Amino acid sequence: MRFALKVALRYLGSNPLQSGLLLLGVALAVVAFVFITALIQGLALFLIAQTTGQISHINLEPPTRVARILVDGTTLTERPVSSGQRLQIRHWQRALAIIAREPDVIAARPIITGNVFLLRGEAAATVSVQGLRPDELDAISSISSKIIAGRPRIGGGEILIGARLAEDLGLRLGRPVTLRSDRGGQRLFSIAGIYETGIGSLDERVAIMSLESARPLFDLPTGVTAIEIKLSDPNLAVDLATQLGQQTNLKATPWQEKNRSLQSALTAQGRTGMLIQSFALISIIIGVSSALLLSSYRRRAEIGIMRSFGVSRGFVMVIFVAQGVMIGAIGAGLGCGLGFFFVSQLASIKDATGAQILPVAPFEGGYAAAFILTTLGAALASILPARAAASIDPLEAIQQ
Amino acid sequence: MSVMVAKDIVKSFTNGDEITRVLKGVDLSLDAGEVVALEGPSGSGKSTLLSILGLLLTPTSGSLILDGQSLIGLNEKTVSAIRNARLGFVFQFHHLLPDFSALENVAFPAAAPAGGISSQMKVRAAMLLERVGLADRRDFRPSRLSGGQKQRVAIARALMNKPLLVLADEPTGNLDRESSDQVLALMREINASEGTTFLICTHDRSVAGRCDRRIHMLDGKVERVG
Repeated sequence: MRFALKVALRYLGSNPLQSGLLLLGVALAVVAFVFITALIQGLALFLIAQTTGQISHINLEPPTRVARILVDGTTLTERPVSSGQRLQIRHWQRALAIIAREPDVIAARPIITGNVFLLRGEAAATVSVQGLRPDELDAISSISSKIIAGRPRIGGGEILIGARLAEDLGLRLGRPVTLRSDRGGQRLFSIAGIYETGIGSLDERVAIMSLESARPLFDLPTGVTAIEIKLSDPNLAVDLATQLGQQTNLKATPWQEKNRSLQSALTAQGRTGMLIQSFALISIIIGVSSALLLSSYRRRAEIGIMRSFGVSRGFVMVIFVAQGVMIGAIGAGLGCGLGFFFVSQLASIKDATGAQILPVAPFEGGYAAAFILTTLGAALASILPARAAASIDPLEAIQQ
Repeated sequence: MSVMVAKDIVKSFTNGDEITRVLKGVDLSLDAGEVVALEGPSGSGKSTLLSILGLLLTPTSGSLILDGQSLIGLNEKTVSAIRNARLGFVFQFHHLLPDFSALENVAFPAAAPAGGISSQMKVRAAMLLERVGLADRRDFRPSRLSGGQKQRVAIARALMNKPLLVLADEPTGNLDRESSDQVLALMREINASEGTTFLICTHDRSVAGRCDRRIHMLDGKVERVG
């Protein structure tokens, strides 16, 4: 075995130009593999970060009212059971205590949400209210840093509104506005700050106020409508949502459920990447196989003479498979190195705003997979030439 | 004592419906320590016989015994092992491995089954190279050796595993007279010192004349033994 490896090494070294070109071909295919992997992973990370950076990763809400079958005289009817009260989490402090035990939770805040009419003179608009504890304003996404006018204050009768809403209704800082809820609650507020997040739905129709200010508007003296949770790793959301749902008896929704289109896009993107990676691997296999087949043909007489003095078919097989493995391993190593350098350079190119031109992730290039798959692929590719070489008839080869 | 005994060897080749009988019942016996010339015109079947004796070709019928062991009906692995350990080959063209030095070429038949060139192998290969007058060329690759030197390396390689029988197919066919004489003298010298049996297939009467015995073939049969 050791001697067969030595022979394989000599064969590869005997024609440095041919071996060099073969290694370069394998390395370039690996660079393509690494680039595609880094790009797809980078794109996925970018999209997930963009999406999850601004939203809560798990939402805990009161369980939906269950429809029950009721007997109404002689007929059966299906009606939701309702107490006539708004859905709410009454014991949210208890739920927060349970959530706080989870080490992967970095923030959890109670929130009251609901729709109101914002009235300003003759103008009116439907606005979605978020009632938060003032010190948790930036717990899920940073609003303070997005303030373009005024201050990020939501204590007392002060609210924050989005820039588009302010523009649409001609609202300015300090101006009084009236908010009226569907529960009949009505209150006068003063605009303390105007924010611009770049997210249309937030900038166009959301008003942020304190939790205490939201209570009378929505007739929720003690409860909240939801608990928002932020995790250190958004990928844990599905598992943790199931767990927290069971522990709190609340309806837990991970962010993925509300962003199914993103998941579908990422899956489709991943499949496309896999297809391109497969093509890269196939090109490696074809390249290595054809080069070794050529080599086995060129060395027919040598193999014939080896066989004539009793070298086994297995020994000849090992010589060629070892060449395939060496080409694969060295080419893959070279390709991984070149690929990392290439994607690192790409990652460092930024536009005027400081954002990457291509969202490649240099450390997510699938280097281990590229190395293992390329080496295995090259080993597989060498089997056909190895069999061809091992089956050479020594007499025929010597007489040529 | 006979090293190799072949009895009633027949070899036929089939090409479609056409059957060509190249060997038509050859009987032959080689004694230990003799140098025998196998002569005959082209097409007389001497190369085919040599290939059968070297286990590179299977006879259609007949028996073949090497040092008391029947060589008929053996599997590929055993045949390879016998070729490696008990037979040596020298061909008209040297067929040295171009990517290995003279010493490595000589040691190759021992190194391949053992998995590497041991220090004992190196010593024997160096000794053989010295015997064939190429001690100072041991690290040279074949491309730096002359035709005669290459053939001498091939002889040293054939002797590496101390074979019972060396089969040489026109070993001087590609050499000039001087190199040819050197190669033949070398074979005789090794025969004398190590007692190795040689069967030399040749067209050259002067080569045949320097052998202990001459077997003349004609039309697939042994015509006469002299």
